[in-house]
Amino acid sequence: MMVIRLYEGNSQLNDDTVMDVVIDIQNIRKSYLLGDMEVPILHGINLLVKKGEFVAIMGPSGSGKSTLMNMIGCLDRPTDGNVMLMGKDTRSISDNDLAELRGFEIGFVFQNFNLIPRLSAYENVLLPTYSNSKVNLDNEERARDLLETVGLGDRLDHKPTELSGGQRQRVAIARSLINDPSLILADEPTGNLDTKTSTEVMDIFSSLHKGGCTIVMITHDPEMEKYADRVVHIRDGYIENN
Amino acid sequence: MLDPLQAVKMAFGSIGSAKLRSSLTTLGIIIGVAAVIANVSLGASFNQFFNDEIGAVGSNFIVIYSQNTNVFFDNELELIGNTPGVVGVSPINQQMAQVTYLSTSRQIDIQGVNEDYSEVANFEMKEGTFLTDKDQFVAVLGEEVALDKFDKKISSKNPIEITFRREDGGVVTQKFIVKGIVKDPETTFAQTGVEPEIRIFIPIDVMNGILGVDYYGGFFVKAESLETVRSTGDEIDKRLARNLGVSGRDLDDDDTKPYTIFDQVEILEDTNQLSSALTTLLTSVALISLIVGSIGIMNIMLVTVTERTREIGLMKSLGFSKKDILTLFMIESVVVGLIGGVIGTALGLGAAVLVNNFLELPNIFPVSQIGIGFVVSILVGLIAGVYPANKAANMDPVDALRKE
Ligand SMILES: Nc1ncnc2c1ncn2[C@@H]1O[C@H](COP(=O)(O)OP(=O)(O)OP(=O)(O)O)[C@@H](O)[C@H]1O
Ligand SMILES: [Mg+2]
Repeated sequence: MMVIRLYEGNSQLNDDTVMDVVIDIQNIRKSYLLGDMEVPILHGINLLVKKGEFVAIMGPSGSGKSTLMNMIGCLDRPTDGNVMLMGKDTRSISDNDLAELRGFEIGFVFQNFNLIPRLSAYENVLLPTYSNSKVNLDNEERARDLLETVGLGDRLDHKPTELSGGQRQRVAIARSLINDPSLILADEPTGNLDTKTSTEVMDIFSSLHKGGCTIVMITHDPEMEKYADRVVHIRDGYIENN
Repeated sequence: MLDPLQAVKMAFGSIGSAKLRSSLTTLGIIIGVAAVIANVSLGASFNQFFNDEIGAVGSNFIVIYSQNTNVFFDNELELIGNTPGVVGVSPINQQMAQVTYLSTSRQIDIQGVNEDYSEVANFEMKEGTFLTDKDQFVAVLGEEVALDKFDKKISSKNPIEITFRREDGGVVTQKFIVKGIVKDPETTFAQTGVEPEIRIFIPIDVMNGILGVDYYGGFFVKAESLETVRSTGDEIDKRLARNLGVSGRDLDDDDTKPYTIFDQVEILEDTNQLSSALTTLLTSVALISLIVGSIGIMNIMLVTVTERTREIGLMKSLGFSKKDILTLFMIESVVVGLIGGVIGTALGLGAAVLVNNFLELPNIFPVSQIGIGFVVSILVGLIAGVYPANKAANMDPVDALRKE
């Protein structure tokens, strides 16, 4: 059961665009406690991503990109401010609804892959479907196809420790696509890849984008800018231009 | 919703991938379950053993005896025999006397009884038959008397000589022919004073004739059933008291009555107390081992969950709900619990059989109690496993993912 809340509104928007907004970040702050000291990382960030947009987030190392991405995917809670995902207020969403949202609608590519070591590449890709499985998809065939697409058709049974860094990253990308999500949150998905594989991965993202998928991608590589509709620059926890 | 088949597959995968950890957890459960099962069935065996012992002493019996002479006569014998619920009664007299067989002489407890005595006391004959009321100078020997007391073993038809001291100070020696030997009931705990193995039984009329007395020292009575022993005993008590002129007021005061009466139920109660104290002790030992075992499980599960916090965080960010994660860990705990429970039950039963054989106890396995012990142990394992998993499932994914 999903509780769909009426969009509470961002003043810049008129009503027609309401349903088209996928991500609405409202004045988010995040600080970490280091001992007694509160260290602010994000200083009041506003960000709006519409349906079908491809947004690249760039910025120096340590500027807070991953922190922001975690807020968008509801993996972390902001110290202050609010995240609206697909029209839902994530502060009051139930655990089950949030789990379904993550499982069905969001594909997350972590900066450090986060594969389960004891599972094979194929099982890692299949893992999200154990909990959320779309009835119209043949999960096992799709997992094989996706691994084939990222060039790992001959590595299905390899454990993560038996794969190179770039290969692990590609398993993580395949996993993020298993449930055909409408939103992809990718934290430096090409960070460990050579130019050729990067291009292949970006081609996958491009075609997903063309198919209507919303993509938010963190990258260091200015080469990647050309795939994005819009580039957001973050520096020291502030958005530089929007 | 979690796909159950995949969940079970994942549980087995995760158990198999950490063999040492899984075996340690399983070992904890095995020890806990084995201790519970072994102790529970040991308790049941002891219980059965005690009941067997009482049964060996006699069936539904009531014992009446007097410290004084000249209290009980044929009158009282008749009175008891006519009490409703009484199916058999034997008068008893007793004297330590010198018994001679071939060239050896020994002091042995001689009991004068009638033919009912054998049935009341549940005697089994090793050889020959018990006394009848027509018998004259014949004797029935306890097994120990016949086999161990004298230099040579005594068997049926052998003659023995018994030397009695009469009340008037005279000494009479009389020859008796051995008619039979009573099997040793081999009781160790239950004591009623019957102990046939160390006694010699002769017809009470013959004994009284020799001693020159006409009173009885007491009676050994058999009631219809265990359920009626109490009421029959009370009725006998009332009749005897009235007959002997004890006032109704003093009926409950054992000191003013010239006799003592007790029944099998009283002994059963005493023994049950002993046996339930033992069961309590065994159960506490079992509970302690279960607690220690479950602390072990909890400890290992905490380590497991901490080790797998990252995994839990990842699964949450991939769309597993708290409930899914708890279910996964519960399936894992149940699988480990079942494996440990089955092995533990087998070991516990095995240990109980060993101890039973060693202590010569009957093998009793109370199925329902073993079942309860089994289920409780698995539940304990489950709870011990779920608490840490619940802790992890409630973390924010990013905090869980950051754990190394
Ligand atoms: N759990 C934490 N506790 C304290 N400080 C943290 C924590 N997580 C992140 N930080 C700090 O927040 C800042 C932003 O980190 P973040 O991971 O968002 O950077 P980033 O922009 O993704 O950098 P990179 O490009 O290197 O991945 C860093 O200075 C980091 O030290
Ligand atoms: Mg980062």
